[in-house]
Amino acid sequence: MRKLFIYAALIVVTLFVLGPFTWMISTSLKPAGEVLTATPSLWPHPFEWNNYSTAWKSAPFGRYFLNSLFISGVETAFDLTLGAMAAYAFARLDFAGKRTLFLALLATLMVPGELLLIPNYITVAKLHWMSTYQGIIVPWLVSVFTIFLMRQFFLSMPSEIFEAAELDGLHPVRTLFQIVMPLTKPVWITAGLIKFIGSWNSFLWVVVVSNSQSLDTVPVGLMNFTSDVGTEYNQLMAAATFCMVPLAIVFLLGQRYFVEGIARSGIR
Amino acid sequence: MTLKARRTITAYMMLLPTLILLAVFTLYPIFESFVISFFHWDMISPHKQFVGLQNYVQIFEDPLFHRAVVNTLLFVVLYVPIVMALGLAVALLLNARIRFRAFFRTAIFLPYVTSIAATGIVWQWIFNGQYGLLNDLLRQIGIQGPDWLNTPQDTMICLVTLSVWQSLGYVSVLFLAGLQNISREYYEAARVDGAHGWHLFRHVTWPLLSPTTFFVLLMSTIEAFKVFLPVYVLYGATDGPNDSGLTMLYYMFTEGFSDYRMGYASASAYILFVIILACTLLQMTLQRRVHYES
Repeated sequence: MRKLFIYAALIVVTLFVLGPFTWMISTSLKPAGEVLTATPSLWPHPFEWNNYSTAWKSAPFGRYFLNSLFISGVETAFDLTLGAMAAYAFARLDFAGKRTLFLALLATLMVPGELLLIPNYITVAKLHWMSTYQGIIVPWLVSVFTIFLMRQFFLSMPSEIFEAAELDGLHPVRTLFQIVMPLTKPVWITAGLIKFIGSWNSFLWVVVVSNSQSLDTVPVGLMNFTSDVGTEYNQLMAAATFCMVPLAIVFLLGQRYFVEGIARSGIR
Repeated sequence: MTLKARRTITAYMMLLPTLILLAVFTLYPIFESFVISFFHWDMISPHKQFVGLQNYVQIFEDPLFHRAVVNTLLFVVLYVPIVMALGLAVALLLNARIRFRAFFRTAIFLPYVTSIAATGIVWQWIFNGQYGLLNDLLRQIGIQGPDWLNTPQDTMICLVTLSVWQSLGYVSVLFLAGLQNISREYYEAARVDGAHGWHLFRHVTWPLLSPTTFFVLLMSTIEAFKVFLPVYVLYGATDGPNDSGLTMLYYMFTEGFSDYRMGYASASAYILFVIILACTLLQMTLQRRVHYES
């Protein structure tokens, strides 16, 4: 009886969550005449697969995907590498000024990123980086959240590992990348996923810094596409669907590490 | 060189790239925007005119800003309790010993992963007065729904629904992680004492989960104060009918990047920052009190 209630409740929540996606996919496959009807049916007849190729061709989506992949990829790679190095220093090295520095770092977590929008815009303009990849990428190469997450994880590891490495005369950087990183898969997959997703979906910064359509990322391109095709919902939904799929796949590949990564890092 | 000095050098070498980037793109901007907030400046002309507190005075006198504050507070007050209650409920359900856990967890997390630019389009249509899914469902039970996106009174309902839908997965994963950190032994001990069901939740889960609850409360309040994108995508780059979706961040965005009043926009960003900071400090003091009493 109790189990039954749990399943029923979960199914209701899942319907609420997946409903819009289902409807999006169903509409993306409908012929134009079937879209705006008073009582729409969930099942398209006939299936109009052409909506996808039409939508794909009406805007440079290939370009948008390459841009997003490049921007998010570079940001994530730097964030994980630099973040791991900083986290290692904070978790495992003793040095003058450590406590103060770490507290200062944590304090920046409270600053809303939007406060940085205008001054960073000015900095990027001064560097003549407007409408360039480096203008979009460089301000977001590191994130304090990643450092924090990794530090918590490194702290929880047995200190014998580090002592043995030091006795062998290994430099901390080599200890980190050859010994620690392979052992800490859940945390860098979690941190990487959060960074990649955040960077892939970031919107405001790209809109503000870039005026060039050739630099547009998937979300920005999709918004432009929306205003271009207006109420052709079947094409809109087709575009929304193929824009969603890559990220959904990335998430599905990494999701089993997600709860573990968050649970063991002690954000609670 | 002493060992300690050598270690300090190594540590700073490892921290250097991070510290430089944070200094240039986080620390410096915090001061820079504070300074800009005392000037009239359109970004384009090289001349900045110092105006002291005038930007702040003007903002506080601007009826549109009052509107933005009221809208933002309304959003916070509606969104935070709903997303937390639902998130906790879902986490409790997912923490039970059931089949298809991975499926449910993945499904519920999915909206958080997807770009709001994509899902916003879907919701825009769900809320469509004439052809939308919501009104179609309502018609089937005999209710004529309103034209959601064009009725100012319904703007908050739309914004909160979209935001809860999007963040529910993230909030429940945080709660789930918290639940899994509670040792089984506490439950076993409480069961021996005859506790079950509601009592178990009230006397074991709830108190032991309070650090997680506090963290989620803090994070979702901060996020809620910064609501912007749901408005932007749901209302097609406008602030909703009759300014009903004008939030504080939306206000800052238009002042800065549509009207090029950088000093004014920086001042409003700083006001938002101070409000968030005050809210965080308030919640932290309250939390300390709660812990004293228990």
